[in-house]
Amino acid sequence: MSTAVTDRTDTSSATSRADEVKRLERREGWKRRLPILPALIFTILVTQIPFLFTLFYSLTNWRLDTPDPREFVGLENYGALPDDKFFRDAAWVSVQMTVMAVLFSLIVGTLLAVLLDRKFFGQGFVRTLLITPFLVMPVVAGFMWKTQMFNSTFGVINWFINLFGFESIEFATRYPLASVVVVLVWQWSPFMMLIVLAGLQGQDQSVLEAARVDGATSFGIFRQITFPQLRPFLELGTLLGAIYLIQVYDHIEVIVGGQPGAKNLPFYIAQRSIGGGNRFGLASSYSIIVVIASIIIANIGLRVLSNLLEDDS
Amino acid sequence: MAEVRYEAASRIYPGSEIPAVDSLNLDIEDGELLVLVGPSGSGKSTALRMLAGLETVNEGGIFINDVDVTLKPPQDRDIAMVFQNYALYPSMTVAENMGFALKQSGVPKAQRMEQVREAARILDLEPYLDRKPKNLSGGQRQRVAMGRAIVRSPQVFLMDEPLSNLDAKLRVQTRTELADLQARLGVTMVYVTHDQVEAMTMGHRVAVLKDGILQQVDAPRTLYNAPVNRFVAGFIGSPAMNLVDTERIDGSLNAIGLPIELSPGVAAAVAAQSEPEFTVGVRPEHLAVGSEGVDGEVSVVEALGSESFLHVRVQHQGGETIVVVRESGQSDIARGDRLKISINGPVHIFGADGERLAD
Repeated sequence: MSTAVTDRTDTSSATSRADEVKRLERREGWKRRLPILPALIFTILVTQIPFLFTLFYSLTNWRLDTPDPREFVGLENYGALPDDKFFRDAAWVSVQMTVMAVLFSLIVGTLLAVLLDRKFFGQGFVRTLLITPFLVMPVVAGFMWKTQMFNSTFGVINWFINLFGFESIEFATRYPLASVVVVLVWQWSPFMMLIVLAGLQGQDQSVLEAARVDGATSFGIFRQITFPQLRPFLELGTLLGAIYLIQVYDHIEVIVGGQPGAKNLPFYIAQRSIGGGNRFGLASSYSIIVVIASIIIANIGLRVLSNLLEDDS
Repeated sequence: MAEVRYEAASRIYPGSEIPAVDSLNLDIEDGELLVLVGPSGSGKSTALRMLAGLETVNEGGIFINDVDVTLKPPQDRDIAMVFQNYALYPSMTVAENMGFALKQSGVPKAQRMEQVREAARILDLEPYLDRKPKNLSGGQRQRVAMGRAIVRSPQVFLMDEPLSNLDAKLRVQTRTELADLQARLGVTMVYVTHDQVEAMTMGHRVAVLKDGILQQVDAPRTLYNAPVNRFVAGFIGSPAMNLVDTERIDGSLNAIGLPIELSPGVAAAVAAQSEPEFTVGVRPEHLAVGSEGVDGEVSVVEALGSESFLHVRVQHQGGETIVVVRESGQSDIARGDRLKISINGPVHIFGADGERLAD
């Protein structure tokens, strides 16, 4: 009899205790969420809502150069994409430009990082100097290279070529894509260098010493010990670099203008809409494609990256 | 198999006036396990790294088998080193870690694998050959680091505090395994540790360093029975030797109220020293509790089961000092008890300069 009574009180007090714990946990959850809420709302306002508008526009035939009202056309814009040669060309340029710029800046950045990752007098000064290209505004960088480096009459590169008796070349016109890639690599190598340098300096010194005692050469140590450890950093550089470089606009505008050989998707989208094309519905559908492609690439990249990081911890 | 010789070898770090290792002279015999021991900053690791070729030798020289290796890079010295944090190659499997050095010297893969398997068998690592270091326990990692050294059969093994990252129980076990392995392989080994128990239990000879200067190198027992100076006396032994500063009065010495009996040689040395200051050292096991002696009060009892250490507060030259007394077996003495202690063993006398007075 008495046991039964005790049992019941125990259960009821246990339930109220569980409720209390749940309530406290909920409160703790809100304590953590609340401070981030303003930033979250702001982000939704400036990114997600415009995105939804773009999605809506991409389903219309909205253009500014005719007085016709905006009409809903469904997936018509998307259906026309595969036959749109200009879109296909721009997409191909985007791929080439991003891949080349990321790859070369990664290689140059890694080489610079390896050189910087040793103690010498003036190391900090040299590092700051090497970072400066990354700090230059894209438009300024574009103008600098266009007028002072590539120009056939005044450019430094052509002056150099002339020294060896070769004819001047108007680089930006003859090799538009390569010209843009060179400037992108110049600007983005410091970024890659910083990421790789972080990886190099995070290395356990005694592991490198052990490899030296084990008889490995400097190059052998880099290839067999350092490089495998750098992989997550190279992946991070690739991911971040790709996300930024796929959106390049300024350099193209300044250096080569609307030349077809170096017209990537963002540039083409701008051209078809605010840049005079005025076909906002169509350009919106391009944008959606770019967003989807970027998300897919970023997701694959992030997954590879997080697998690697997990693998190492 | 090799002999190692340090000849007045010094290491002065850039920007520092004081040498980290100061004209070290040391002869290590073939097949010997020599332990370098000292407190942190004593230069013991630096001395080892000089032998490895990881630190520049600023003065003097280092010889392996009478070959001058002072200026040779690590890879040309035919040595293997085990690091405190093991320094395993994180991106390689256990087998690749162990075979790394052989791969660098161009040993064909089949032979390499055979040697790796042999070393893995000795160290019980066979089931783990395909694992990465991060999937191993601390003790297993330590064994891989050992294995990496064994596989190469180098001239000299260098150990830089290889057991400090293991927990206490595993450390004691690995300590004996390591000493056994060294004896079985018959290799020359230089072993660095800050733990004097490790030094005493493992070393054929032990070299004690302080502030970059070699204090004494001797067999563990000699080091314990006849420390050359005050520092070695206080450093070797656990718990430490009781060291009491005292003054010469009428040609004789007195510590904690007990007259010190001196052999004729020591008595002469005591009389010959111009300063009256001396240090008297008595190990805890050479003090006894009994019916005679000086009065003291027990402040702490450390009961270890097989023995007990009594911290006894006694009067000494107008002040108070605490001496540690070893009682074998289990003791009923408790804090606050009053008792009498006397000396029943050898006494070490150190002069004003800290040097041992000759017997």
